[in-house]
Amino acid sequence: MTELAERFIAMPEVLSGSPIFAIGLTLSAFFAGNWLFVRIGRPLWMPPVVLAAVILAFVIAVLPMDYVRYQEGSLWITVLLGPATVALGIPLYQQIHHIRAMWVPIVVTLPLAATMAAVYAVVIAWALGATPEVLASLAPKSVTAPIAIGITEQLGGSVPLMMGGLLITGVVATLFVDLLAKWLPVEDERILGFALGLNGHAIGTARAFEISHTAGAFASLGMGLTGVFTALILPLVFRL
Amino acid sequence: MSMLRGFLILVLFFLFGEALRLAFLIPVSGGVLGMILMTLTLMLRGRVSDALASSSQALISVLVLLIMPGVVGVFFMASQFSGQWLAVTAALLLGTFLSVLSTLLLMKHMGRLSVRSQAND
Repeated sequence: MTELAERFIAMPEVLSGSPIFAIGLTLSAFFAGNWLFVRIGRPLWMPPVVLAAVILAFVIAVLPMDYVRYQEGSLWITVLLGPATVALGIPLYQQIHHIRAMWVPIVVTLPLAATMAAVYAVVIAWALGATPEVLASLAPKSVTAPIAIGITEQLGGSVPLMMGGLLITGVVATLFVDLLAKWLPVEDERILGFALGLNGHAIGTARAFEISHTAGAFASLGMGLTGVFTALILPLVFRL
Repeated sequence: MSMLRGFLILVLFFLFGEALRLAFLIPVSGGVLGMILMTLTLMLRGRVSDALASSSQALISVLVLLIMPGVVGVFFMASQFSGQWLAVTAALLLGTFLSVLSTLLLMKHMGRLSVRSQAND
């Protein structure tokens, strides 16, 4: 009887070391986050990924398992980000014909706006005394997550800090586009969609699809082009 | 089977991107290089196979799951960047406000210019 009890006591230690445990935890938190998101009425300012991450962080903190251990196990999940980034090339190809519809504003705006999305943040943080590691984590804040992870790793930033900044950027960019669209005013759905995707990556794109299908298509295009442009330009700028 | 075939194509493009990065010391992740190659290849071919479309759709739909291990790290690094939170918060809020404003103004004026130039044609 005591032997059985001992085996039970030793169990968390053994199980938490296995990658399938990290996968089970992540999947459970993912579904719990989605469930909670629907329950609280799908608020724009609280995307399901944030809810899921809070739940997951709480569970890891409560369990006799540290974050480093979880991170090792979750490598089995994050390794799929590589092929998932390649997969983004397919919707980009499917949206690229929209460039023809308004190529002058897109070709002129994209390089400038995508550069400014990074430069404003980096200059503000630098002026307030942020370290190079923090600057490298903030620079890709408007880029979609799988591409941004690659950029941060190349620049030597912190992936968790970048991810936090990325989510906040997505949420506030969506709020600011809604606000400024009324104030400026901008009514063209294509412009609103493009601005949402360019500044607010996947979170902004989700909002654009709520406006209309056209806005969503331009948001996908803006998100894809910003990702490619930023990934190619930032490493060159940071070398200087 | 067809979904796995599509997945294999994605993995091969990713590995090709990684090989390019390592061979030519390109400071861009293998995933992004693979994505650019993928878009260019599809533009040349002019169509997407069903296998590739379905497996890319499947992977993209679980992207949120794939980024979760990275996101959750935010909660375990509070002390690491102490003293820099003002800089981070200001950069995110003010920086995003300015970049949204710039994008909308640029697009608005460029859109007006292109309409005018078409009218002149």
